[in-house]
Amino acid sequence: MRGTITIRRPTAPPPERRAAPAYTLDAPVAGRRIGLRTDGAWRSWVLIAGEWEKRLRDEGAGVVCVETNAQVGDPGRADRRNIATWSDEIDAGLVGLGTCGSCTSFTVHDAVTLESHGKPAVAVVTAEFEMHARNMARFLGHGDLKVLVLPYPLEARPDDELRAIAAEYYPAAMALLGAKR
Amino acid sequence: MTTLTAEAIDVPADPVALYERSLEERWGDGAPIIPPTDDRVLACLAATPYPPDHVLGALAPQYGVATVELVAINAVMAGCEPAAFPFVLAALEAMLVPEWNAFGLTTTTSSVFAMLLVNGPSRDELGIDYRAGCMGGAAGRGSMTIGRAVSLALRNIGGQRAGETSRTVFGQPARFGLCFGEWEERSPWPSLAVRRGFAPTDDVVTVHGGKGTFPLADIHNDDPRDLLYLIAKSIAFPLSNMFLSANAQNGEVVVAINPMWAERFGRAFPVIDDLQAFLWEHAWQPIDLWPVSNQEILRTKERVDPDGKVRLVAAPEQIVPFVCGGLGSLHAVALPSFGESQLQSAAVQRH
Repeated sequence: MRGTITIRRPTAPPPERRAAPAYTLDAPVAGRRIGLRTDGAWRSWVLIAGEWEKRLRDEGAGVVCVETNAQVGDPGRADRRNIATWSDEIDAGLVGLGTCGSCTSFTVHDAVTLESHGKPAVAVVTAEFEMHARNMARFLGHGDLKVLVLPYPLEARPDDELRAIAAEYYPAAMALLGAKR
Repeated sequence: MTTLTAEAIDVPADPVALYERSLEERWGDGAPIIPPTDDRVLACLAATPYPPDHVLGALAPQYGVATVELVAINAVMAGCEPAAFPFVLAALEAMLVPEWNAFGLTTTTSSVFAMLLVNGPSRDELGIDYRAGCMGGAAGRGSMTIGRAVSLALRNIGGQRAGETSRTVFGQPARFGLCFGEWEERSPWPSLAVRRGFAPTDDVVTVHGGKGTFPLADIHNDDPRDLLYLIAKSIAFPLSNMFLSANAQNGEVVVAINPMWAERFGRAFPVIDDLQAFLWEHAWQPIDLWPVSNQEILRTKERVDPDGKVRLVAAPEQIVPFVCGGLGSLHAVALPSFGESQLQSAAVQRH
C-alpha cells in the first residue's frame, strides 16, 4: 500500500513551566528552626533523620519534626495540612525520604509546599530515585528544587552503616540548605 | 462545524508502516493502532456533550492537559467505537478526583493501574465483558478498547512511561487496559454503581487502583460462611499493601465473585452490607504471623488490635464484592488495592 493519510498527533504539548524560585538559608542554623519531615515508611530515614536532628541541636538549631503517613483520604488531608502548618513554623527544612516511586513524588510535593512558603527546602532521595525527583520537581513547576542524593539502597543496611551515611551526608545537607558553617 | 486543533501530521497509509511510525514516535503501547483521522475523531466527539476544547483536567504525572479532543484521538487509536468513547471520558473524570491519587499511582514502584469496573444498561451493546473471561480472553470490543484508551491517554497526555516517569518495578497486564462489567442480572445484591448512589439506568465507570488479579479457588467448602471465611483470610495476605500503611482507612479490595458463588452467598447474606461485615470480621491476621521486627513496626503504626489482630482494612465497605465471570463454581479473583487510593465512580455522559 502506498501513499499517506493525515492523522492527529495524540500527545499533549508539554505544559509551560516557569521554575519557581528556590531559597537558601544563607545563615548559620544556630537560633533557627530547622524542619525535618519523615514518613512512616522507611526505617533507614527515621534513623538518619534522628542523627541529623541531634547534629542540628548540637549546632544550636531548634528542630521541628513532622511525620507523614498517608497520601489520600482524611489521613492524607491531615498530613498535607500539617505540612502547610510546619512550613509556616520553620525557617528551612529537609524533606524525605524518596526511595520509591510514590514516596519520592510526595517527598517532592511536600518540599515544594515548603518552597512555596518561601522557605529553603531540600528533598532527600536515594540515588535510584534522583531523576524521578528532579522530574517531579519540574512537573510541579519547581525545577530548581534542591535535591540531596543518598546511596541506594538504604534498606537492609545495619544501623552503624546508616549512622555513617548520616554523618557523611550531613555537611552536604547543610550546604544545600545554605547553612553557614 | 467542529474544528480540530491537535497537530495534523501525514503518516504512511500502509498499516505496518504506520505501526512502525507509532513505535518510533512513542505514541503507542507497543500494539498496532487505528489511525486517528479527522472523521474518526469527529465521530467520537459527536458522541459526547462536550466541545473538543473542553478540558477534563491535567493528567499526572506530567500534567498534560486532557482536552476531549486529545482523549478522542487516543480513543480512536485504541480502537474505541464512538458509542464507547463517553466511557473513556467517565473513567478519566473519575481518575482526576484527587482521592484516586493519580499523582501517586502513576509514579509508584507498584504495579498498580486503573481497573475499570462498569455498570449499566450498555454493557452488551458495547461489548463490555462481564461473563466468562471478562478479565481477559472474552475479547469484547468495549472491554478491550475502553481500558486501552485510558492507558494510551495516561501515556500520551499524562506522560506516564514505565522506567521513566513511572517507576513501576513490574507493571502488570492491566497496564494495557483492563475494563469489565458486573453481571448485574445474576447478582443477588444491588449493583456496585447503585450501591455508590447511581440509578440502575445509569452507565457508570468505577475506577479501582488495583495491583493485579489475585486468583482464589475452592472445591471443598459447601457452607457459604466457611468459603467466605477463607476468602477473607486469603485477601488479608501478609505482604498486602494494606499492611504497609500506618492507617487502614484508605483503599478497597475488590472481590470478583462468580455468579454461582454469589447465589450461595446471597442466600446466606441477602443484604450485601452483612456480607461485607462478615468478610471484614475475618479479614485479619494474628500479629505473631509476622517476624518480630515487623511486629514492632505494625505496633508502632497502631495497626494491632488489643486482641492481637491486624485488620486488613478499617471498615467493611472497603471490601467490595463485584459479581462477574463465568459459571464455573470454583473461582474468585481479588483485586488488591494500592492502599493510598480510593475508588471513584462517574456516570457516562452522552450527547
